[in-house]
Amino acid sequence: MMRMIAPDLRRRVLGFLLDLGIVYYFIHGSMYLYLAVWGRKTLALYSYFKLQHDYAFFNPLKLVAWQWWLILAGTILLVILLRTFGRSLGQRATRFALQSVVGDRISLRQRVVRILLLPFSVVATPFQLLLPATRRQVATHGPLHDALSKTSVGLYIKPSDQPRRPIWKTQWGWVVLALLGITFFLGWVIIDAEPEALLSPSEETRRQISGFLRPDFTHLMTPEPALTQNTPEVEKQKISILNLMVITILMALIATILGAILAFPLSFLGARNMMSNSVGAMILYRFVRGFFNLFRSIEILIWVALFATWLGYGNAFTGVMALVIHTIAALGKLYSEQVEAIDPGPLEAIRAAGGSKLQIIRYAVIPQIIPSFLAFTLYRWDINVRMATIVSLVGGGGIGMLLFWYRHSRNFNELGAVILAIIIVVWTLDYISGRVRERIV
Amino acid sequence: MNTCPGEPDSPGPYFIMSQPHLRFENLTKVYERGQVVALKNVSFTVERGEFLVIIGLSGSGKSTLLRCINRLIDSSGGSIFVDGVDVTELSNAGMRRVRRKIGMIFQHFNLIKRSSVLTNVLSGRLGYMPMWRSVFGLFTKTDREAALRNLDRVGLADKAYARADELSGGQQQRVGITRALMQDPDLLLTDEPVSALDPATSHSVMQYLEQMNQEDGVTVLASLHFLSLARRFGTRIIALKDGELMFDGSPAEIDEVKFKEIYGEDAQEVEVR
Amino acid sequence: MPEMTDFGYKPPSLRTWKGLSETFDLLRHRIASRLSPVFLDLVAVATLWMMASYMFSWLAWSELRYFLVPGWVYFIGVIEAVAIWESFGLSIGQKVSRTQLVGPGLARPTFRQRFVHYLLWHVSVLPIIGLAWRHPLHESVSGVASVSVIRGEERPAPWYQTSSGLLVFALMIVSLSAAFALTVRADTWTNFISNYGRAGKIIAALFQPNHSLWRNGIAALFETIYMALMATFFGVLLSVPLSFFAARNLTRNPVGRIFYTLIRGFLSITRSVQPIIWAIIFLVWVGPEIAPFAGFLALFVHSIADLTKLYAERLESIDNGPIEAITATGGSWISVLRYAVIPQIINPYISFTLYRWDINIRMATVLGLVGAGGIGQPLIRYLQGMRYKEAAIYIYLIAALVWGIDAMSSRLRRYFDEGRPIDTQTKKELDTERYVKSEMAGRAR
Repeated sequence: MMRMIAPDLRRRVLGFLLDLGIVYYFIHGSMYLYLAVWGRKTLALYSYFKLQHDYAFFNPLKLVAWQWWLILAGTILLVILLRTFGRSLGQRATRFALQSVVGDRISLRQRVVRILLLPFSVVATPFQLLLPATRRQVATHGPLHDALSKTSVGLYIKPSDQPRRPIWKTQWGWVVLALLGITFFLGWVIIDAEPEALLSPSEETRRQISGFLRPDFTHLMTPEPALTQNTPEVEKQKISILNLMVITILMALIATILGAILAFPLSFLGARNMMSNSVGAMILYRFVRGFFNLFRSIEILIWVALFATWLGYGNAFTGVMALVIHTIAALGKLYSEQVEAIDPGPLEAIRAAGGSKLQIIRYAVIPQIIPSFLAFTLYRWDINVRMATIVSLVGGGGIGMLLFWYRHSRNFNELGAVILAIIIVVWTLDYISGRVRERIV
Repeated sequence: MNTCPGEPDSPGPYFIMSQPHLRFENLTKVYERGQVVALKNVSFTVERGEFLVIIGLSGSGKSTLLRCINRLIDSSGGSIFVDGVDVTELSNAGMRRVRRKIGMIFQHFNLIKRSSVLTNVLSGRLGYMPMWRSVFGLFTKTDREAALRNLDRVGLADKAYARADELSGGQQQRVGITRALMQDPDLLLTDEPVSALDPATSHSVMQYLEQMNQEDGVTVLASLHFLSLARRFGTRIIALKDGELMFDGSPAEIDEVKFKEIYGEDAQEVEVR
Repeated sequence: MPEMTDFGYKPPSLRTWKGLSETFDLLRHRIASRLSPVFLDLVAVATLWMMASYMFSWLAWSELRYFLVPGWVYFIGVIEAVAIWESFGLSIGQKVSRTQLVGPGLARPTFRQRFVHYLLWHVSVLPIIGLAWRHPLHESVSGVASVSVIRGEERPAPWYQTSSGLLVFALMIVSLSAAFALTVRADTWTNFISNYGRAGKIIAALFQPNHSLWRNGIAALFETIYMALMATFFGVLLSVPLSFFAARNLTRNPVGRIFYTLIRGFLSITRSVQPIIWAIIFLVWVGPEIAPFAGFLALFVHSIADLTKLYAERLESIDNGPIEAITATGGSWISVLRYAVIPQIINPYISFTLYRWDINIRMATVLGLVGAGGIGQPLIRYLQGMRYKEAAIYIYLIAALVWGIDAMSSRLRRYFDEGRPIDTQTKKELDTERYVKSEMAGRAR
């Protein structure tokens, strides 16, 4: 029955919600900005959500607290106005527009009639749908506000004989501008932006900058004594820049290879064209894809933090575990997208020659995907090396330990040396993997 | 190069005499729950050693018909009998055994682009190889020598180790033919084998198919666009229109009237020499 | 020298500006292309030696020694090994750059020729400047030249019969064993097992999060989102103009070339340093009181580097046709930019921006782990305080945020990459609508 009235109900609702969200964002953003500007530094984003502060002047937070329905009503009203007079952003995004049943242009009268009738229509339409006599009428002519104003919201096809309206005349242009503006100001306030802090460096900053300009490489090969004493696990490993750099690269290597090996079979399970045989296979496909997405969403460093609480800090294995998990998810997704993009021709040929499923995969699928698989693995190794350099900042093993220590002890000269070493190594590996990737693909 | 009579894969001498190689009985294929009819009650027979050409407009069901034979597409109704065995009822394992005696050649060659020509040709033997050999790519010496011999037969021996996508269109189709040769087929299905090639190369490729038909006794089913090629190479012609069998006879029987019936009022014949 | 005709080659004149920059370009290209395989070989051999000595010393004496020989022996040894490899065999650098050594008349070089090549290699390659000659010394005297590989008709040798194949194999084996030895130690497994109680606590906490923290979490989420948003916004602002100076095909004049080299170099370096390290630097710079600003700056700096690189690479691969057309009509370079270049790049640029925004959001979630604002800060506090139930809320929020942004960003990017309507359903409906409307209006299509 709903299909009869509005076959594309889902999209219409989405468009409306989009407009609602935009106006709601605008209103709340303005309120927050107002508070931030008046309340100056005493306001934090947290109190906006915790609804705590009490100000002498007009406090929109009080509105938010117990008159939320007022704000909602106002928002809906504004959205309806936007959608009736002009083509709102939500309508544009879902490719709808208000169109007249009679003639090409919609008169002002039609628009006003539509708006005025809307509240009555909202109340009356459910009843009209219940009675079979009026149901047909609703189906053919639409709800009250559509029928009497002789307009309806439908799919919009841009007429090819009319030039595009200049952006400054369109509603969406202004809305986007307003959105950008308010986002900019909101952002400025929320991130506590203070460009003056950049220009007037403190004493400590001056030391930092001078430290970076004169890097101190004393501990390139000789171990850093402070750390060797503090961490009994690594007493046999000499904590020097070179050593830790090697450990970092090896961590990345092992994580990439393990990740690639484990992701390879999973990628076939996560490829739609391999799994479309049975219902069970499709369920497995969705499960595997969901696993890839979920584990990819949690950044490596968070995995490291989690594993560090489990396996202990300063442990190279922690870093490897975290890198492996993220690598499996990321490579699995890349690999399966590649398997889905293969040319089905050779599969047909091998199948026609009498090959079994395994033979088809071995001879028709795999040769097509090997170059991209290798390229993706190298790309992933590149990323893993970059990540491995910082993994130990939150509890893994590797060069981040030195980074952490030198920052902690405010030894900026050696910190500069460590950063320089990282730059050199990462750049070299980046260059090499780029060249090899060029050759493979 | 046919397998000897008496081997399990090929029928004995009595069978050769007594029944047709292929028999179609009311073959039907529909898509979209009956809205699109690709084949409608197609029935005919094919004898051993025939060179059958299937003609018709694009979308008349030629590809569908060929693919139903080795069940790359499952039919919606009717039966196909290959040497008396109904392939529409066969299990997966049984189908694989039938497929390895049926060679197939495709319009867009369907080669494994990044693999060598030799690997592509050897993949024709996959239906005959045990699993462990095929997974590790351990083709036997006999197979390798046979592959090189067959490549020599089509004139591509010097390209054995080149990458498949480095060859020209005509050469790639010849690799496809060699792959089919490796299967030792009784039956060769060719889906518009020359549609992607220029006229001169088309002729040469068709000649290889004719060689297989006349020297090795392989039954060939070819779907072609050009009537001149059909007349030159076919021993028998079948025409499809909108999924139905429209004509079944010798090439000489197609005159102006029949031609317009098959292809439509506006069609003009084009010569390809 | 192999008999290859010069085809009337004339070096560019040094008298004009253009000729000067062309010469500079030519020399740079020669040195870079010849040095690249040498560099690859050096890294490969040096790494193999070091890894092998690591492994050996760890196994033999349970301690790590970088090289089993004095430093200078290592240094010279690596260089000699590379020189020998390149002269007498097919090194990995040569394989990657698809070149090989051939003697006069494209014949295989003799042992004597190779030896001379090896000796003079030191003269040409080590000072690097020797590679700038059209026919470098070690090639012209020995009669051996390095040419692009001619793929033969013979069967390619399997990997275990080539020197580069063996080296890569050895490198893999040694590195992997060293990696295992160094990262997985005896106590790792005991750690795993004895601490599984803690792991169990974490997993249990995921099912019983502390629901009072949702509002705090959402506030922190907004902080993260805005950090990423502002960083992307300002990053785009700076990257778009910068990218025009970092594109090879738009910087053919000498001044442009200098800019190009400088900018590309600077970008490369900045990209190697992860935003977290930048965050550490900026935290000290602006102070921890305005931590989100430090995070924003870190993301901003990295975004500029990454975005400019992506933009510039896209600029380098635009279609030359429209540029020719507009130039032929007599348009100035601004017109060419406006009408030929910019329309081609708007969609890819938007796509890259969305990609970068996605990455910035991911980065922003972890910047807080070092104290640079965003949702990472409360997370690390709770994790280190072992309050897993509270940390669980933040983990859920992070996962939801990144997943949502990823989905949205890839959907939008598909639209900008291929120019298709967002869903094909729309297109079908549009076509049907159009057809029905025209039918109703009585017009034949």
